[in-house]
Amino acid sequence: MDFSLTDEQKRHSKEFYDTCKELGGKRPSSLVGFEAIYELDECWEYNLHCAREFGKKGWLALGWPSEYGGSGDMMDRVLFSEARGYYGTPGVDIFGVQMLAPTLLQAASEEIRKQFLPPIARGEAMWCELWSEPNAGSDLASLSATAVKKGDEYILNGQKTWNTGAHRADWGFGVFKTDPEARKHHNMTFLLLDMKTPGITIRPIPYLDGSAPYCEVYFDDARVPARNIVGQEHEGWAVVNLLAGFERSGINEIMSMMRGLEQLVAFCNETERHGRPLAKDPIIRNRLAQIACELEAARTLAYRVADLQNRNEMSLMDASAGKIFFSELGERFAYLACDILGPYGQLRSSRWAPLNGIWEKMFHEHFITTISMGTNEIQRNIIAWYGLGLPRMR
Amino acid sequence: MDLRYSEEQEILKQSARDFLATECPKTLVRELERSEEGHSPELWKKMAELGWMGLIIPEEYEGIGYTFQDLTVLIEEMGRNVLPGPFMATVTATFPIMEAGTDEQKKELLPRIAQGELILTTAILEGAGVFDASGIALKATQKGNDFVISGTKLFVDMANVATHMICVARTDEGASPDRGITLFIVDASTPGIKWEVMPTTAQDKLCEVRFENVTVSAKNMLGKLSEGWPIVENMLRKGAIAKSAESIGAVQTCVDMTVAYAKERVQYDRQIGAFQALQHKMSDMWTAMETGRYLVYEAAWMESSGLPCTKEASMAKAYVNEVYRDVSKWAIRLHGAIATSDDHDIPLYYRRSKSADTAFGSTDFHREIVAQKIGLA
Repeated sequence: MDFSLTDEQKRHSKEFYDTCKELGGKRPSSLVGFEAIYELDECWEYNLHCAREFGKKGWLALGWPSEYGGSGDMMDRVLFSEARGYYGTPGVDIFGVQMLAPTLLQAASEEIRKQFLPPIARGEAMWCELWSEPNAGSDLASLSATAVKKGDEYILNGQKTWNTGAHRADWGFGVFKTDPEARKHHNMTFLLLDMKTPGITIRPIPYLDGSAPYCEVYFDDARVPARNIVGQEHEGWAVVNLLAGFERSGINEIMSMMRGLEQLVAFCNETERHGRPLAKDPIIRNRLAQIACELEAARTLAYRVADLQNRNEMSLMDASAGKIFFSELGERFAYLACDILGPYGQLRSSRWAPLNGIWEKMFHEHFITTISMGTNEIQRNIIAWYGLGLPRMR
Repeated sequence: MDLRYSEEQEILKQSARDFLATECPKTLVRELERSEEGHSPELWKKMAELGWMGLIIPEEYEGIGYTFQDLTVLIEEMGRNVLPGPFMATVTATFPIMEAGTDEQKKELLPRIAQGELILTTAILEGAGVFDASGIALKATQKGNDFVISGTKLFVDMANVATHMICVARTDEGASPDRGITLFIVDASTPGIKWEVMPTTAQDKLCEVRFENVTVSAKNMLGKLSEGWPIVENMLRKGAIAKSAESIGAVQTCVDMTVAYAKERVQYDRQIGAFQALQHKMSDMWTAMETGRYLVYEAAWMESSGLPCTKEASMAKAYVNEVYRDVSKWAIRLHGAIATSDDHDIPLYYRRSKSADTAFGSTDFHREIVAQKIGLA
């Protein structure tokens, strides 16, 4: 059992950290939290800038086969992710780079790969996900948006929802019912579509903090080329499962929290309450130490997931455990930080807000990670059914 | 990075699992709990034949020369089977001998430890019950070539069967509590030593040991006079990692037994494991175990690689203390009333979670170390 990095990996890691630090120089102060890139134009521009810089270095194609411009391996991807997490650097499209690209490499035709992978690798094409519907959330397979084949096109109708950044995306991937007669799980097709297609209407959904990074997307006879398919027709469910397996290891969220901890420790050392630094308060010491333990546990579990992925031994159970643990740890940490900040913990980014209001943002941004990509309750089911082999009630 | 066991570790793990399943049934665990000794010389002899006591002892001292990490792999299996007896006490006392012993001391003790001839333990805690240097009051006073030790040690693991104790004594009122501390290797049969088993939750033979003018030769001093505290800290750190590995093994059994029972037990005409209220709890137990597991493995790897790991060791101990307590509690809860019976195996684990969390430093003790290491002023 060996947690060490090779000299080459250490060199790569330093390069990743140096670049992300440098990119931090152009970071707009309005960029607070993970989802804010979809909000303000200057944040989205910064996201695109970082993406193009990473694209030039070939870092959006880490772990890809060299014929598609790839280099490095999964471990490089993890190290890159750590550095981005630490500096909160955007520029890696979670939908295009992290989820779709590996799916295309495994399940798409050569033609599709040749068309869609290079723009992803260059950081030019931004993607969104079109899965959930108003009546198909956790039970995604009960979806009802349709794609009817006519000649060499599919004609799309219906509604998708909770589509992060759909209003910014160039492209979307999603599943649509193509065979209303077939049984569940064999009735849908995985399609790639241009978000500028006529007949597509995108409406941001106001989130509980007043921001709107998530959208609903309406399809009204939107025409999509029939060749924009991944996997077999009507067998989109298999692609959905494949893509869901390319969950992030979670390491960038963890490193972001690690940096958050460093900043909070500094804040506690510098800030006096009751005539002494907050850092001298035994309750704060104890609570921050516990969060530090949990963060380290999270980091080692993320390494475990990455180590498995690196050997193509993905364990559904470990990935689900990671997802549950990281997201709920994020909540616990945000609540603790807001407790420590006292009344200042409720301040959004402003001249009064300590640490640029990051903890106010985190207080509610972590909801999303406990719900998206399969709610934590679904993840617990996955561990129970597929990991522990417990019976499924029908 | 490769987070798999090495081939040697796989073999060690499997052979330990097979051996303990045959040689240490729960009937024996219970019998030893109820006995005065808490120790089976027959089992000890067989373990020595497998080379376990000499696992980390270098070959030049007739050990096997495996790494600290290998040892934690073995200890995890012991935890899985709640192995009773003085293994942990002995191996923990071996650390400071390997680290600070003179060649003469090593030659005298290490081969005999490896052979299973000696049973060692460390006497650290006293009335204050804390693992920091301020808790050390027991005095050792120099008289010519000897030291005379007087005072009382508490919670001394398996002192009732130990042949030797590493006694942590105060030889000087130093400028700060961690100065003026000296370690002695004390033959347990020296006149003036009296012990009594303390009645603990786990019935694991923690002892009160009274030293009444116990004379120890200066050549049995371990390390330098009055500069012994760093040796104790190193031992506590290794002990904390080893204990956490043992706990993770125990947690694994709690999870396995609970999942197996949930598939077996029928209520409302179905296996109770089909109910999501229970499934989610079992998922959480498993997740708690896995998060703790890699924290322990990381600390064990760092210790084994000679990397500074005070923070990681304390993180592992603080975190796993609670994982063990909570998972063993939930194991009882999900079994229902049946597992509150003293005849059931789960309580063996639950009761040891209490013993494990105090050994080598409590949760809050280790959290304070973490607080310092993350930079809180």
